[in-house]
Amino acid sequence: MSHLSYAAATVPVRGDFAAAHNRFWKRLAAPGAWWSGAERVSIAAEVRQARSCALCQTRKNALTPAAVQGEHDHLGVLPEAAVDVIHRVVTDQNRLSRQWFDSIMAAGLSAEQYVEMIGTVVAMVSIDSFCRGIDVPLNPLPKPQPGEPSHYRPPGAAPEQAWVPMILAERATGAEADLYGGKPTGNVIRAMSLVPDEVRTLQDLSAVHYLPSGQVRNPTASAGTLSRMQMELIAGRVSALQQCFY
Amino acid sequence: MIDADAAAASGVAHGDVLLALADAMVGRDDTALAQARDAALQTLGPEGLVDAVGVASNFERMVRIADATGIPLDDRLFNLTQDVRHELLLDSFAAAKEAVENDLRKP
Repeated sequence: MSHLSYAAATVPVRGDFAAAHNRFWKRLAAPGAWWSGAERVSIAAEVRQARSCALCQTRKNALTPAAVQGEHDHLGVLPEAAVDVIHRVVTDQNRLSRQWFDSIMAAGLSAEQYVEMIGTVVAMVSIDSFCRGIDVPLNPLPKPQPGEPSHYRPPGAAPEQAWVPMILAERATGAEADLYGGKPTGNVIRAMSLVPDEVRTLQDLSAVHYLPSGQVRNPTASAGTLSRMQMELIAGRVSALQQCFY
Repeated sequence: MIDADAAAASGVAHGDVLLALADAMVGRDDTALAQARDAALQTLGPEGLVDAVGVASNFERMVRIADATGIPLDDRLFNLTQDVRHELLLDSFAAAKEAVENDLRKP
């Protein structure tokens, strides 16, 4: 497998960025819990395709996305519902609704497939955005690895108020005992716990891009050269621009 | 955070540069991003630029997780932020509206 590197960037890039991104790239290529390696890499490719989708652009400018019908400009590999999930999450995520989610489930995707897909999409969005931010080309997608998905569903996952089942902190036991570090954690971390490796990837990337999860609730914690106030200003601005309620 | 001028006046060091970089990263204008990147490089230095890009790209991920999974606010966060959420008009965000309609605990 090719090794992802930022050595050619015009600014020095901390080695832990490439290391974390390489870990995700390796995981991206391998079979997951609910998608094969080939399907996971196809999801990643579709993330990039979504940026140039004419339907997504039209919907983005419409009063409501439901007002615009049509077909996404897609790569023709994944099921239609999966394509819609990817494109909507990439280009218009703040107008996703429970009704839309239910339509995706009715179209045949499982909640487990959905969560793994979301985990892949958001990691790709983040890593590609990082590349764009430091002005380096997007990393070539990895070659898919053979094998079958594990179909592992954590026994502690159960329906709550979110659209997808999640694991409560007190039910994160056994194979999931490492997920939250034995501490209370935010819903945004638990959101991906139906596919535990998505939580692990989330925490791995966040620890490098932002802060290790165990330090987030400590207002004095910071990392790198920025103060915590500077970090939170960026975080708040990015979240506000995307109208994130959370 | 909604009003750039107000946020820049927050007293955070180099807040204007950080906001411009965040705006450019969320936007799709490559020229604006190049300008914001250059300003951040001059002001924060190369390590600061990379750190700032890292944080911005992290939250491009986190907002999508929150919006795509329909999670409610944590009780602790809900209780701590009611006043500031009202003041910053966060209740008007589309995802929050849907949550209210669904009687979930998003304000």
